[in-house]
Amino acid sequence: MDTLVASYGRPMFEKEHVEEDQLELYQPGPSLSLKFAMPPVAQPSAWLRAATDDHANPNCPIKIAHGTTTLAFRFQGGIIVATDSRATAGNWIASQTVKKVIEINSCLLGTMAGGAADCQYWLAYLGMQCRLHELRHKRRISVAAASKILANLVYSYKGMGLSMGTMCAGVTPSEGPALYYIDSDGTRLAGNMFCVGSGQTFAYGVLDAEYKYDLSVDEALALGSRSILAATHRDAYSGGFINLYHVKEEGWVKHGFNDTNPIFWKTKLEKGEFSNVTSELV
Amino acid sequence: MFISRSEYDRGINTFSPEGRLFQVEYSLEAIKLGSTAIGVATGGGVVLGVEKRVTSTLLETSSVEKIVEIDRHIGCAMSGLQADARSMVEHARVESQNHSFNFNEPLRVESCTQAICDLALRFGEGADGEESIMSRPFGVALLIAGYDEDGPQLYHAEPSGTFYRYDAKAIGSGSEGAQAELQNEFHKSLTIEEAETLVLKTLKQVMEEKLDSKNVQLASVTREKGFRIYTDEEMAKVVERLPAN
Amino acid sequence: MTMFSQNPLMNGPNYSFSQTPTMASGANKEHSFYPYTDNGGSTLAISGNDFMIMAGDTRSTSGYNINTRYSPKVFKIGGTTSSQDDATLVLSVVGFAADGHALKEKLDAIVKMYRYQHGKPMSVKACAQRLSTILYGKRFFPYYVTAILGGLDEDGKGAVYSYDPVGSYEREQCRAAGAAASLIMPFLDNQVNFKNQYIPGSGEGHALVERAKDPLPLVVVEALVKDAFDSAVERHIEVGDGLSMMLITKNGIEEKFLPLKKD
Repeated sequence: MDTLVASYGRPMFEKEHVEEDQLELYQPGPSLSLKFAMPPVAQPSAWLRAATDDHANPNCPIKIAHGTTTLAFRFQGGIIVATDSRATAGNWIASQTVKKVIEINSCLLGTMAGGAADCQYWLAYLGMQCRLHELRHKRRISVAAASKILANLVYSYKGMGLSMGTMCAGVTPSEGPALYYIDSDGTRLAGNMFCVGSGQTFAYGVLDAEYKYDLSVDEALALGSRSILAATHRDAYSGGFINLYHVKEEGWVKHGFNDTNPIFWKTKLEKGEFSNVTSELV
Repeated sequence: MFISRSEYDRGINTFSPEGRLFQVEYSLEAIKLGSTAIGVATGGGVVLGVEKRVTSTLLETSSVEKIVEIDRHIGCAMSGLQADARSMVEHARVESQNHSFNFNEPLRVESCTQAICDLALRFGEGADGEESIMSRPFGVALLIAGYDEDGPQLYHAEPSGTFYRYDAKAIGSGSEGAQAELQNEFHKSLTIEEAETLVLKTLKQVMEEKLDSKNVQLASVTREKGFRIYTDEEMAKVVERLPAN
Repeated sequence: MTMFSQNPLMNGPNYSFSQTPTMASGANKEHSFYPYTDNGGSTLAISGNDFMIMAGDTRSTSGYNINTRYSPKVFKIGGTTSSQDDATLVLSVVGFAADGHALKEKLDAIVKMYRYQHGKPMSVKACAQRLSTILYGKRFFPYYVTAILGGLDEDGKGAVYSYDPVGSYEREQCRAAGAAASLIMPFLDNQVNFKNQYIPGSGEGHALVERAKDPLPLVVVEALVKDAFDSAVERHIEVGDGLSMMLITKNGIEEKFLPLKKD
């Protein structure tokens, strides 16, 4: 009787809160149930936009900025993935050491552009789904299937304010080297070459001029690095370090996380590029 | 006695006046009908072995799956209603992945076993907030083998939701004889190879069919290689090592 | 790239002088749902070879008003007693204090439950990932906080994890957050990561050789923290009153409190 009174005597909203909160203590997070806390307003997405979208509301309290350069391209030796490492919030450089290549598993890479938390969280979620696929079906997931999981997922949140532009790169026995572009609008594209982010046009400029499918591995790595360098040079929202990966059939290999500044001077002084920049520091 | 039994063995959530839950006790009986499964823990890793009960020469033996992977570092062998084990294994896999998603570390073997046993209790009407998801207790027992920061471990999980850790354990129809054999043969300094032989030797004694490399299956969990089901060639090698009689 | 929106109100090419929250169009003000207040203040974390320091000022403001001179932003997490004596993790939160407090309570409860469920204390690495998923759980109704988590990793090295309000995180050598982040962070880049420090006379222009990145000893780092806050107090209205510092070593957490200017 006492429990009856207790459970019905309490106001409804209070009861729900207590149970959900306690459940979360031992049943970790929203990851699988995909239950997220919502603001108590009629249109959560509109409220969220007012609070976080600095384009729609310049005085928004939680700033989510957009600036990055990421690229990936297919060639005869696999896939090259390269990114910069700068994170900005408005004009403030929040970090120069962000890892924008996310290692989903030993054979799959994802890149990060847009909301860092969105990309980090959902690509980690994708990693988990890929592993479960592997356990259930006893073989590795195809890049096509993995990218589709992500695309369907973000599509189900369409209009809620997720912000991500990501590439999934991997090599599988059934597909060979495969590259997909997925963004938070729900777009999913297969292709040979993508550049994503505020510095994408600068990266495309270099990449389009020099790209050939028959590039050797060393040439391809150099081209990936050079394209990011061009973007960090002309796009103020890009910079920091160049993060370089090569995806092969056996899995991906990391080719360094190198400061752009010495690379820039090396490129200028040894190859004679960027000749409009004076090398004498007057 | 008999009368009280027939009255109280219908409701799965009703104690008999003697304080027994008959449906749970019956579910333990279901395991005794199942094929034998054995686990042996050594300092270097855990070995699991099962008999496959090949009932027909037309049966594709590779489709009999009684040892499955839960995560890289945990695997399990089953005895009893296999279909029930599927949902327990699925639950364990999700829990394990969920843990590494939330904590960026592998799930401990004991925690994994606990998660499975939590599911085993989800029959009946359920407590506040937890809806019932099963109409009866599971009819399967699991031997859960794993390797974590505390070294190699072997657990036995029952449909009643209890679990214990063992050095060596046998479940299923031949479990009584097999457990006695393990009791005699087990010692703390066993190597993985010796454990493989012990598992097969014990299985051989309790199996109705003649043991060969097709009607038994072995798997191991070690620090270096994680969980691994033995290939046909590896199975053949271990079977060859067995003393003939 | 969205990350580390440390200066949520910073807007345009200015410093960290945040305005009081204003609405996009003043006319709709009464009808809007605005659950946040910026309580100002700043936090700072630096990791060393076998220690880490977490610090935060204790002033709490709203707009130009000072609410209190002692409202700590640095908390011990996951101890087994109510006094948290045996805790090994620290969390600092800056932004909206109520959200920060709720976040700290929740993380503390989860870390304590973890010890019961898994029979071991939570590592910083595990806690870092869990904090990220907690923050992301409110992706559509964010905690208005910038969090920093600190502790010692499995090898006994100092670990600093910094977060944005919705949970993206990164392990770093050092991080400043909150109102005076833009005053303190450049100082740390130079003094902790030795950015733009070169060996004198080693060359001209880009032939200069960078100063070796030697790990700093605890006494030096402690002095850096004090200097950073003294400087921030000098130039930022929302920072001041007191400095609450936690020094984490293998011997546990040592708490220190130092006065800051109160004007």
